[in-house]
Amino acid sequence: MKNCKMKSDYKKEKLPGSLRKKIIDLAYKSGCGHLGSCFSCLEILIQVLLYEMGPEDKFILSKGHAALALYVVANYQKKITDEELKTFFKDGTRLGIHPPAALCQEMPMATGSLGHGFSFACGLAKGFQFLYRQKSFAPKVYCLMSDGECNEGSVYEAAQFASFHKLDNLILIIDKNKLQAFGKAKEVLGDPVSVKKWQVFGFNVFSCDGHDLDDLKLSFAKIKKIKNQKPNLLICKTIKGKGVSFMENQLGWHYFHLDKKLYFKALKNLQKRYAL
Amino acid sequence: MRSKFVDILTPIAKKKKKIIFMTADLGFNALEKLATAIDERFINAGVAEQNMMTVAAGLASLGFQVWVYSIAPFVTIKTLEEIKLDICLENLDVKIVGIGGGFDYEVAGVTHHATEDVGTLLTLPNMKIYTPAFAEDLFFVVKKMVDNRGPAYLRLTKLRKMVLNFAGYGNSRRLLKGKKITLVALGSIIDQAAEAGLKLNQEKNNTDLWVISELPIKLPKELINSLNQTKHLAVVEEHVLAGGLGQYLSQIILTNRISIKNFTHFYIKDNLSNKTGSRDYYLKKNGLDSKTIIKKLSQFI
Repeated sequence: MKNCKMKSDYKKEKLPGSLRKKIIDLAYKSGCGHLGSCFSCLEILIQVLLYEMGPEDKFILSKGHAALALYVVANYQKKITDEELKTFFKDGTRLGIHPPAALCQEMPMATGSLGHGFSFACGLAKGFQFLYRQKSFAPKVYCLMSDGECNEGSVYEAAQFASFHKLDNLILIIDKNKLQAFGKAKEVLGDPVSVKKWQVFGFNVFSCDGHDLDDLKLSFAKIKKIKNQKPNLLICKTIKGKGVSFMENQLGWHYFHLDKKLYFKALKNLQKRYAL
Repeated sequence: MRSKFVDILTPIAKKKKKIIFMTADLGFNALEKLATAIDERFINAGVAEQNMMTVAAGLASLGFQVWVYSIAPFVTIKTLEEIKLDICLENLDVKIVGIGGGFDYEVAGVTHHATEDVGTLLTLPNMKIYTPAFAEDLFFVVKKMVDNRGPAYLRLTKLRKMVLNFAGYGNSRRLLKGKKITLVALGSIIDQAAEAGLKLNQEKNNTDLWVISELPIKLPKELINSLNQTKHLAVVEEHVLAGGLGQYLSQIILTNRISIKNFTHFYIKDNLSNKTGSRDYYLKKNGLDSKTIIKKLSQFI
């Protein structure tokens, strides 16, 4: 893991824009969709992978359909080479629409079928507790889910497990963009990520602006301070398609591909917003 | 064979600290000894099989060997996607113990029967399936499962009264010699097949009786020679047609161009009935009881 303190704040500020551009480029070249989901969690991925994780920590992208965002952040960290990133979406690549198993040492799990990642993260967190019993702290496990994913029953099986087993080294993050695959989350099965619901499940629950790196940083700092043997949840309020005005809060951008016209429109949009 | 299984695994798990045992809230009057012996490495995961499977995968990815335990359908077809994606894809060391193969759960009914467990799991890469036939098999099977890294499924059937003695463990074993029919049984249905084989061999050695206890399997030369001699393959399995031993052996016979004249297959034809009863009731209903096997095969003698 790169030492985050080596990076300048200036560079950090630029990352959300420059990585969005990279995502747009790759999506345009490949004809890949899922841009809305990638943009809603990009800042979360930047903060967790670059600035929060320790060398032995693990990360699970349970919302596997945002893999392209994961790839560009991992590429920035040099965990995926430029050469390999170019293979995205092509025959024989490891880098498909959903992430493969063992993308790198700290990301062991293949995801894509929703509702698996949280349970796997529980297994890792429990395993670390066994392995690090004699030490003062166990490595942390970060797991990023989507709000729509919380429709899955297995999520609540895992929630009970995490709470009962006091997995305080588990940090669950929910990208709450309020849109799922075929409607607004509230209109599908109701709000799946209310603070109350998760508190009742026995979690320390925090909320933040999932696009504000400072707010994310502050929230993780708070989580790391708590020592009450509870698992942690950070609810990140986000905007699906964040950064490109015509994609924001639009259900269609869960699926749409960029044609040439839209690609340049999106680029222009990004340049203006992020001063690229 | 549950208590025997616990007797065998308990000392091993006590010694090997990398073993974790998870149950989906099953094990009353059976797992207490194991639970005490391995203390916190014994986890009751609750009535939450899908989570249990994937938690097991997460633990195994850190180097633990994780045993998961429940009634067979709940740790096979109920959790098939977790087994496929989270365990088999990365060849993780998770051992699945399914209590009660076939109709073992008798009047508990269709929800508790495991009649397509072998077929569904056989479709998965890296999965090894164990179907012990005799109580004595368990020691060897459990040891193999502990020693060989990777996903495995143990179809832990009930202990039954056997008319034949245990003949040493092997993934395939010849139990009777005969020249007219090669009768092959999958695991625990050997109780019916052995009764049939003995009866058919009363006057002359007609039945060459085999039992298969592991899948996938490379057939031994002796079994292939037997088929070449008898030209009649008869398969008995407490499993549906699709994905079972009969289809598995048919594929091998076709691929290896083994010439046979007759194929008689005894399998479960009705696995979704609303009428329930004892195992004997189900076996008779599906033509898997020794009497039906004898009646059908004696036509060829």
